[in-house]
Amino acid sequence: MKMSLLKPFSKLPGLNTANILLVESEEQFQQNLADTLVEETAVTVNVRLAKSLPLPMENEESRPRIDLVVFIINLTSELSFRSAEASLKYLDPGYFLGKVCFMVTNARNASVPTERLDAVRKLAASLHCPLLFAEDQTPDGVTNAAERLLTILKVAAGLVPMATALYLSNLTRCTLPPDIDQPSFD
Amino acid sequence: MDNSTRRLLQRLMRRIPTPLLKTTLEKWGRLTVAQRQSMDFTQPKWAVTEKLLAICEENEWTAKQITELEMIYIIDNPNQGMWYAFQLMDPEDDAHSVELMQFKEQFKSHLSELVRHVSVKIKKHTDEAVWIRIAWGDSLSRPNHLKPTYVVHYLQTPYVFVTSLTSKQKPLLSQALVLSTRYHAIKDANLSGRKLTAIRDLLMRQYQQAFPTKYPSPLAEKNHTVSNPRIEREQAGLIANRLQMACEAFGDGMLPQLQSAVYKLETKFKDHTNKTMTERDEPFKCVVKFASTNLLESLRHCASSGIASTPVTPLLSSIPLKGRNYFVITDNGPSPPSQMHASQN
Repeated sequence: MKMSLLKPFSKLPGLNTANILLVESEEQFQQNLADTLVEETAVTVNVRLAKSLPLPMENEESRPRIDLVVFIINLTSELSFRSAEASLKYLDPGYFLGKVCFMVTNARNASVPTERLDAVRKLAASLHCPLLFAEDQTPDGVTNAAERLLTILKVAAGLVPMATALYLSNLTRCTLPPDIDQPSFD
Repeated sequence: MDNSTRRLLQRLMRRIPTPLLKTTLEKWGRLTVAQRQSMDFTQPKWAVTEKLLAICEENEWTAKQITELEMIYIIDNPNQGMWYAFQLMDPEDDAHSVELMQFKEQFKSHLSELVRHVSVKIKKHTDEAVWIRIAWGDSLSRPNHLKPTYVVHYLQTPYVFVTSLTSKQKPLLSQALVLSTRYHAIKDANLSGRKLTAIRDLLMRQYQQAFPTKYPSPLAEKNHTVSNPRIEREQAGLIANRLQMACEAFGDGMLPQLQSAVYKLETKFKDHTNKTMTERDEPFKCVVKFASTNLLESLRHCASSGIASTPVTPLLSSIPLKGRNYFVITDNGPSPPSQMHASQN
């Protein structure tokens, strides 16, 4: 069990390299996102795709040091949220010092219950992680999402002088409005 | 030409899309070359209709000829309305030797014995199908040509496909069919869809079917294009496995287009957290309906993309396997809750 925990500093970093792990139970958006992420030229970006955690043991050797873990949650699916939630416990606590972020899709969809968005926000806030909203249907949306992830990834991989993941996450982490549990009146 | 015939032709002309008008009229074969040439298909449709009406008046054509035209149009464009499949059961010894002329005669005479006013038209299509158009009347009224029932039967097979049949007419048609095809009974095949060819292919197994033994080893990862060496899937084995499972259930070729699948649940409510419901003796009835423009394709995608869990539940894979899309699910005696049983009827 202890072996299957993913650790942020168990491996050495590569030169000018950033490695990102995209976890999405539906495996739809991650491929598009990955294709866009690897187009980055300033640094070498390696992308690992997973449906859920824990990651398979047999890839342990070949897997580089993961600098940023992104949980992609499709808000229209309860399963998607549950899966991400269940995967969290396979991450070393060290990751939660700025190396994890949540990305939700379909937040504008009318069929999304507001409770689910609130649950995701609470989850992100309780883990001190940033929560990003992304549009997965259009190429522009994918590019935008990839750019935002790259910004965080470069910091998390230590490629930005004077910035650390922990420092950045203090500025970007999700915070809850104090009245989130109050019924809204609008 | 009376008013009702006139209305019949007008309605039919409205149904036929303008691009198909010319070819349909040519296939009809009633118009002389001169008459065909005198019609200008670039004109608005009402003008063409007027012209055709005039020709019909001139030739003193009746509903007989107009319904011919309708049949030609429907045979070429059958995907209108819902088609329901039926299956004939218990053939007599000579059921396999029934030929068209005999069937035609028998069917007409049996049906007219049952209903006084009925107009039947039978036409053989090129693909061995016999098309039957029935305009129903009753003891008082003449056959209503505006709401005909269409029946497609493949001779020497037990399959019958029907569209726009009311529950009142169903026993009459069933009896006439059973008698004229030399079978003993007919049953609902629990299959329906908007595309006649799709439900025919599904029921008569005329599409590329899935054979589990055909995929003994992990498939070549067709859908999984290795786009970039810098992108790696951690659980690639899972994907190959899912693809294989999906192909085992639904095959990897084209699938017949079904629009829906309905599961009628008559099982006991099982949930350990809800005692009140679980302890009730009578089954918890509900209907689950899946709808899509191409249901089987959607289900295969759900399985291969991981939205639905694999291996595909027999409830879903039995749609192509059994060729039906209506199931009643009942409890299979004192069995564990997870083992639901798709009953035979």
